[in-house]
Amino acid sequence: MYHFDWPLFWKYLWPGTALANPLIRNGLIVTIAVSVIAQALGVVLGLFAALGKMSKFTPLRWLGDAYPGVPILVEISTFNPIRWLADAYIWYFRGTPLLVQMSLLFFGLGVTHIYDFPDIHFWFMTISGAIQAGTLALGVNEGAYMAEIVRAGIEAIDVGQMEAAKSLGMSFAQAMRRIVLPQALKVIIPPLGNEFNNMMKTTSIMVVISAADLFYGYTQVNATIFKPFELFIDASLYYLALTTVWTYIQARIEAGLGERKTEIKTVGMFQRVFAKGGH
Amino acid sequence: MASLAAPKTTVDTDVVVKFDKVNKYFADLHVLQDVSLEVRKNEVVVLIGPSGSGKSTLLRSINHLETINSGYIYVYGRMIGYYEKNGELHEESEKNIARQRAEIGMVFQRFNLFPHLNAIENIIEAPMNVRHTPRPQAIADAERLLARVGLADKRNHYPRQLSGGQQQRVAIARALAMKPGLMLFDEPTSALDPEMIGEVLDVMKELAGEMTMLVVSHEMGFARAAADRILFMDEGKIIEDTTPDELFTNPREERTKAFLSKILH
Repeated sequence: MYHFDWPLFWKYLWPGTALANPLIRNGLIVTIAVSVIAQALGVVLGLFAALGKMSKFTPLRWLGDAYPGVPILVEISTFNPIRWLADAYIWYFRGTPLLVQMSLLFFGLGVTHIYDFPDIHFWFMTISGAIQAGTLALGVNEGAYMAEIVRAGIEAIDVGQMEAAKSLGMSFAQAMRRIVLPQALKVIIPPLGNEFNNMMKTTSIMVVISAADLFYGYTQVNATIFKPFELFIDASLYYLALTTVWTYIQARIEAGLGERKTEIKTVGMFQRVFAKGGH
Repeated sequence: MASLAAPKTTVDTDVVVKFDKVNKYFADLHVLQDVSLEVRKNEVVVLIGPSGSGKSTLLRSINHLETINSGYIYVYGRMIGYYEKNGELHEESEKNIARQRAEIGMVFQRFNLFPHLNAIENIIEAPMNVRHTPRPQAIADAERLLARVGLADKRNHYPRQLSGGQQQRVAIARALAMKPGLMLFDEPTSALDPEMIGEVLDVMKELAGEMTMLVVSHEMGFARAAADRILFMDEGKIIEDTTPDELFTNPREERTKAFLSKILH
């Protein structure tokens, strides 16, 4: 019969004692920070990939015009390098495991000395190479998933919006930025929130490159006292707390989106997130 | 891409829109068949015809929302959507197409107001971002236009807070804010409840005479009151090009008669 070590369990669950341990305190900060930065990177990359997939850029079109009788040239003339790049990016990063991508990026680039991921010293803190590589891998991987979400958001907007904008003399980029994307945002935000929820959990795989996140903190504590049952329950509960708080914030954000814009009062972020009941 | 050698640009500055043997296909469907047409300054031209006859396509090709397969379209004597180089036509750059479109107002069947912007923001959007009009000036112009379409009190209303007729009037004001000399109306009242059609047509009647207008519409009352010419289209061709009086009292073609008897009951 296993003896469950309650005092240890509580020690590493109760924030007052658990966060006194710098491994866990800094790990929690790293998990949150990496999640936010990787997700932001994913949104930016996803936006570019989505626009790339919609690109109509065919620089070799003149080939088909010049030699309409040559099938291979006509075929080549429809080649769209931007769309190809976007497709290849999405194909690779959705089609291979994140764990492998991250290992390849960190260990692979390291061993070849293409990039060694040196630590960055910034203000009062040090950002380890593993954290940089982990964030980059998470963000680039996330971008491939965000691309489909952003594209679905853009395609949900009536084509009449783009036509109306163009008929007023706006360029494609202007129409996208000022008319289509602000509307698409409403469609994008709910799945984006779910992606962020996933992201906070997925950051834990950075343990493979020893990036000092929350899970890494618990594995390090476990390495000295070997209480995996108690400690990993504690770790799971910290992740549960993070995702639960986020789910609550997300619900508030989505409720705000559903409101009529004219009725939104100016409330502070704090009030918006934590206020009970409606405003 | 249009492939015929381009003729010299028209010199008659009174001709605002000119179609020269325009052809357009949707896959195998020949939607515009050798269409030639001239619309003069300040003329009001109403296009009628059965659905699928090509009237909306004709209208939309004027501001290059539809590409054409051959022939030439000129607005103010300038070819639309294409330029000529070494005897061949090439599609214009996006920037130049946008510049051409800025001079042509368009009103859509489904209004297409920007739902995330209120009435005044819808109207100032293009003047500020395309023409770079300073905001106070753009707002002053927009308020004048809103008053003109009878909606001065709806300034801060969002599209969803407006009736269909009000939305379409804001859409007209939005198009007018770019000070176009040519306005295209693509079935502007087809999506409206009957009691709202009049308010939109009244605004359009008031514009008639001030600018060149091409209107796809089956509102015969409007055609009678405001149109200088009526074009009857069928199967991608302009079958009849005449005045409203002539059309209603003495249509020449059998197809025109058959169509009129259907819509006039």
